[in-house]
Amino acid sequence: MTLAAILAAVISFALGALLALLTIPVLVWLERRVAGLVQDRLGPNRTNIGGFRLGGVVQSFADVVKLLLKEEYYPSHIKNGKWLFMLAPIITFAAALLAFMAIPFADTLIINNESLRIQPLPIDFGVFWYLAISSIGVLGVIFGGWLSHNKYSLLGAARAGSMVVSYELPLGLSILAFIITYDTIDFNAMVAWQSGTFFGFLPAWGILVQPLASIILIVALFAETNRNPFTVAEGESEIVAGFMTEYTAMKFAMYFMGEYVAMNTASAVIITMIFGGYQIPWVSTQMLLENFSTFSITLMIIVPVIVSVLVRWMQKNNRVRPSVSTDGGRNFETKVLTLAMIGMTLVVEAILIYLVFLAESSLANSITVALFQVVVFVVKLMIFNIFFILIRWTVPRFRYDQVQHLGWYYLLPLALINIFITALVVVGVSL
Amino acid sequence: MSQKTRESSITSDRIKVIPRYGSSLKDKLYLPAIYEGVKVTFKHLFTNLNDSNAIDTLEYPEEQPTDITSRYRGLHRLTHRADDSIACVACFMCATACPSNCIFIEATQREDGHDEKMPKSFFIDTLECIFCGYCVEACPCDAIRMDTGIFSLTGNKREDFVLNKEQLLANKGAFGEEVSCARN
Repeated sequence: MTLAAILAAVISFALGALLALLTIPVLVWLERRVAGLVQDRLGPNRTNIGGFRLGGVVQSFADVVKLLLKEEYYPSHIKNGKWLFMLAPIITFAAALLAFMAIPFADTLIINNESLRIQPLPIDFGVFWYLAISSIGVLGVIFGGWLSHNKYSLLGAARAGSMVVSYELPLGLSILAFIITYDTIDFNAMVAWQSGTFFGFLPAWGILVQPLASIILIVALFAETNRNPFTVAEGESEIVAGFMTEYTAMKFAMYFMGEYVAMNTASAVIITMIFGGYQIPWVSTQMLLENFSTFSITLMIIVPVIVSVLVRWMQKNNRVRPSVSTDGGRNFETKVLTLAMIGMTLVVEAILIYLVFLAESSLANSITVALFQVVVFVVKLMIFNIFFILIRWTVPRFRYDQVQHLGWYYLLPLALINIFITALVVVGVSL
Repeated sequence: MSQKTRESSITSDRIKVIPRYGSSLKDKLYLPAIYEGVKVTFKHLFTNLNDSNAIDTLEYPEEQPTDITSRYRGLHRLTHRADDSIACVACFMCATACPSNCIFIEATQREDGHDEKMPKSFFIDTLECIFCGYCVEACPCDAIRMDTGIFSLTGNKREDFVLNKEQLLANKGAFGEEVSCARN
């Protein structure tokens, strides 16, 4: 193993851990802020550290501190299996976290004829890993619900279990259609396939090549992650908090955070399989590397435009109304953040100018392209997370039997028919 | 009588036909409806993200409400006469009318030549008070009013919320009427 290989492995692992764990507070905050803005409210926007609110993200950290300092309460009626009661939320959290680790964040780096995967777990069977590990998450839910010795908990756990049984099938079958189309079980190769074009002008994204399988995949993943139209494992009006009823403080927080990690993982899988992963449409990694100077100059023009739009948006919105007496340090925050953003833009510009006009290093070029792809991936991930949240605040809940009906009577037959059609088309094209 | 004959016995102008939705293919697909819904929520999200200061909410402690009218039942006050003495004659009408029994009055002889009686002490337990306004309606002397416009009372301990005569006299009317209209 060379130094480059070790460095790539360490960096991609750190990137994966950061993307999975650091998005939890952001997602919790985003959920509340987006809910507020959708309903014409403001959402949490006050908590700050020395005047820095960052739009209110600090609130999530305050919440974590609260959950850590709360009393660890054990229901006294739980006699046997206390250790499993403790372990259950950890299983759910760890499964969601591990499933995220098979996602590629950038195309394979080739350094000195050695190909290095920018993937926390450098495996080429990512789809199977995802399917296997993400299904383990429900074990934690079932253990937690069963060991709570509570009717609501047991009902919630049973519902979660039956949900997984009925939605893993359409999920697996729709993924099978993608495997037939892309002819691979490697996430990275799937993204590479999607960087081509389709009918000559459309980007060959899964959503355009396999629209039916894409819709089934998205719906099934909404159900898998227990997100809103399909929240059957918990429901205040029917079974209180479901399997979480007897959980308090940090044990509850593990379930809660596991849910958000699962949502993040689902977004990442959807992006990688049907929205071109870390690629921008029509452009493959090869094209970026071959036309590096064009790419850099385009980037040099686009980055300041995006930053100026962001800065103007911040200066417009990071203010209090004229009727409010104190400004709470918002002017200062805007000033500091504006300077920081301008400084970062200047650094990016300087690096790009150096790379295009002074250095002639293919290594630096490919690293720049990889970094650009990581940024594209994160932007797409956040957009899809916001879509998840928007759906939650748009669609009302399904009743439990409606959920099962949808899964067994519509999604499963559709997924099966889709596999037949896909197989026929794939065989017909290859003939 | 069977269901059918009963229906036909109703004249046609009294029948309102309710259209049943959900049977067309578009309704059954469910996705167009979700698209319409997301369009609405996204429009709200985008508009509010674009100008969050235009959202019609009150940033409460810094921004105070401006829509408190003269009929708003706020914190109580005891009114004065023109010479600044208390208007209350300790008739106990308010304490009698009070449904939550939160007014406690002790009467004493009045020496300033206005009436015979005045309250020696006058307590209102605002933790018990339900702000119904019956005391204001019962008062024959316009001595107790709820027109201070104060909607939030804070304190560190329960005793802080039991207001005495001096505190009630110190509360000012927010809508211009300072002295009692019945005793002056």
